[in-house]
Amino acid sequence: MPERRAGALSRRDFVAQAGSAALAAAGAGTLLAACGAPRPRAPGLEAELHIYNWSDYIGPDTIGQFEEETGVTVTYDTYESNEELVGKLLAGGAAYDLCVPTSYVLPLLAAKGVLAPLDRARLPNFRNVAPLFLDPAVDPGNRFGVPYQWGVTGIAYLRSQVTEPASWGVFLDGTVSGRKTMMDDGREVLGAMLRHRGHSLNSTDAAELAQARADAVTAKGQLAAFVSAPVKGQLVAGDVCLAQLWNGDTRQAQAENPDIGFVVPREGSLIWADYVVMLAGCRHPHAAHAFLDFILRPDVGAGISDATGYGTANAAAAERLRNPVPYPTAEELARLEYQVDLGPATALWDRLWTEVKAA
Amino acid sequence: MTRRGLLARLAGRPALRTGLLLGPGALWLVCFFVVPLAILLAYSVMRRGAYGGVEPGFTLEHYARVLDPLYLGILRRTVVLSLATTAICFLLGYPTALVIARSGRWRNLLLFLVVLPFWTSALVRTYAMIFLLRDTGFLNAALRALGVLREPLHLLYTEGAVLAGLVYGALPFMVLPIYASLEKLDPVLLEAAEGLGARPWARFRRVTLPLTLPGVAAGSLLVFIPTLGAFVVPDLLGGAKQMMLGNLVQNQFGPARNWPFGSAASFLVMSLVLAAVLLWLRRRDRGALAREGP
Amino acid sequence: MSARRVPAGAAVVAAVVYAFLHLPLVALTAFAFNRSRFSVQWTGFTLQWFQRLARRPDVLRAFRLSLLVGTLSTVIATCLGTLLALALARHLRRGRRLAEGLLYLPVVTPEIVAGISLLLLFSALGVTLGVGTIVVAHVAFSLPFVAVVVLARLEGIDRSLEEAAMNLGADELTTFRRVTLPQLWPGIVAAALLAFTLSFDDFVITFFVAGVGSSTLPLVVYSMVRKSVEPTINAISALVLVGTTALVWAADRLARGSARA
Repeated sequence: MPERRAGALSRRDFVAQAGSAALAAAGAGTLLAACGAPRPRAPGLEAELHIYNWSDYIGPDTIGQFEEETGVTVTYDTYESNEELVGKLLAGGAAYDLCVPTSYVLPLLAAKGVLAPLDRARLPNFRNVAPLFLDPAVDPGNRFGVPYQWGVTGIAYLRSQVTEPASWGVFLDGTVSGRKTMMDDGREVLGAMLRHRGHSLNSTDAAELAQARADAVTAKGQLAAFVSAPVKGQLVAGDVCLAQLWNGDTRQAQAENPDIGFVVPREGSLIWADYVVMLAGCRHPHAAHAFLDFILRPDVGAGISDATGYGTANAAAAERLRNPVPYPTAEELARLEYQVDLGPATALWDRLWTEVKAA
Repeated sequence: MTRRGLLARLAGRPALRTGLLLGPGALWLVCFFVVPLAILLAYSVMRRGAYGGVEPGFTLEHYARVLDPLYLGILRRTVVLSLATTAICFLLGYPTALVIARSGRWRNLLLFLVVLPFWTSALVRTYAMIFLLRDTGFLNAALRALGVLREPLHLLYTEGAVLAGLVYGALPFMVLPIYASLEKLDPVLLEAAEGLGARPWARFRRVTLPLTLPGVAAGSLLVFIPTLGAFVVPDLLGGAKQMMLGNLVQNQFGPARNWPFGSAASFLVMSLVLAAVLLWLRRRDRGALAREGP
Repeated sequence: MSARRVPAGAAVVAAVVYAFLHLPLVALTAFAFNRSRFSVQWTGFTLQWFQRLARRPDVLRAFRLSLLVGTLSTVIATCLGTLLALALARHLRRGRRLAEGLLYLPVVTPEIVAGISLLLLFSALGVTLGVGTIVVAHVAFSLPFVAVVVLARLEGIDRSLEEAAMNLGADELTTFRRVTLPQLWPGIVAAALLAFTLSFDDFVITFFVAGVGSSTLPLVVYSMVRKSVEPTINAISALVLVGTTALVWAADRLARGSARA
């Protein structure tokens, strides 16, 4: 699930200004952002912290504020998909302290031994986590992960161009053929088609999957493209008027073009939650815990979600959102489903998705 | 003194000196090009790890799987697209090379302008194509402003867009070798043909084209091979609706978590590369021998 | 000389080719200065997209990192590649053509294969991914380019000068320093500029071998291209284009100058 975004991650403006002046003259020796005057470091913390997060999935000032408050220097890199993250982690050699996998990846990472258990005593703000995200099946007792943000997959559409699409069927019935898109992700596309026929989006049943494949091929015939988050720009510009998309990304597009609406189809859809985890190779555990507790603060959590458009797993932060993202009701939850790792069925799913592409 | 002594000893031992010159670069290429490919080859015959990676064991199942009609279809599509790219590059590239070779003092500038896009970031190139081809892109806007169009043409996310993107990246590889062989062409031959009464088209077909075929062959290889591994262009310009081998490989190391199969598919691409390069080397050497012969 | 005349058909095709190659880049650059955020209607001149770019610390950091990686890999690749070319041109007798041909292998290898296989290597060795692995990878793919360019220059150098120097009693090192190197120098600089350009623009291989704190400019551009159609992308593309053009133009001039010498 690529990019859930915020605005630009502007660390410290004065650095940027200085940097822009030096842009033309920048020589070879300058490795990282020039640091301002050294800040006093909070006692017991390491000097550095390495974070690997989804691109644009944090507040514009979150990192800067953490650095100001603690004196820790954060190295912040981003990725575009869970696969990219897992690839880097399993290849070893990516020396990060914290990263943000989606729930269904947690068991895999735990099984591979790349996660380090959290020390809850150092996370007093953990009490702010909403009950919905406590003790999830993928991480019993929240041993490894601090719940971060959550979202749902639905349909973004241009109100002026199409009527509210109530069902995944709009991708099959010829509506605005050539001007709609689905995500470039087999789990999302086949999952939506499975829900459309009343099945679980984690199905491993050969017959159900065969039907989903056939539906996906029908849909492909009417799609402009399989494209995930990059579709936002095309929605805003009006190239595309119906798109399978996540709620938070849709909100970001709405900020540019209020004509965009969002709906979760009545057959139900995917809900996901991302967890911040500490890696087994973590070399800055104190700073890592300090950062985790920092983002669990109501003000910080709210700042992040206001920027990304996604729901926060932080109940105290959720109350402070400028543009609230309400937690799903029990009735809505009944229609929403978390992804699980497909295990051996991964091969079958990959084959079907390849068949859809090759059709 | 010792320095001179060392040099004198080196001068006396040409093999050692050659080794010292050749060694570091060759070693680097062995360590970071050959060895990685060897690892790729090893992975391609191992067993798939459930969560990615590989498990020990020996199997040829991944190569057998490549023969599955589904993957053969992707292979065929890749080869057909690469061939089409090569053909279009030839049809566009040959006349361009001819114009450059005969453009006198403009030659350097024209050459530079052909090479420039190659050195430009592939991402920037691809984004430029998107910017041009989108429904609300530059081309549609321009055509509408000129009153040629009412409704936008769907140009992006088509096979045509994929081909255009592939040709765009590969064209310089075709133009340069053809230009080089046109440069070497002895004008006396053409004058002789003209003197014998051959018309322009006949002169081209009987003299120019045959003598520049080595350039065409080299250009075709340089276009065909890298195109086999394309994966950004089919995704961004083709709307990810079809796969090429590159996308298949990327998928296996991504969501499908099947590294050995991905390795086998990579090696399939690599063996095509190797075969093509060896073929070209043999041709080139025979050509060189033939030229140096008399 | 009628045999050297340009056929009208060929001229037309060439015109189409040049338009095809440059129209997208020119349009892209022009609209980096357009005021409108999403439309391709020209609504007025602005520099705001460049200013916005300059306010993004991630872009600036990536730019500096790309300069660092480009410089390091260029220095290493140029040294090794030049030595390799010297060995091939002057000292290797048997197997030279084969070795020369094999140099083209990395040049034509699809980037995705090179990138993945390097990742597998680093993973097998347990090496920490980061700036170091990126430099190593960039040297590996730019070294053959350097060798090929320097080799071409070496072949254009008149060997009789070297022989004359040797006859006059200069030893081999002096001959190299005083006679060969001055003639070769422009070729080496040209190769270095091209190596830098390759490194600065590489996306695919870097994508696979990047680690902590090593997001180079192309990686940042990639994530920008994926998420928006805002003209800041045009702006950053325009900057990359101008930089590339300057480097390649300089390399071109140098390479040509030495060919005439």
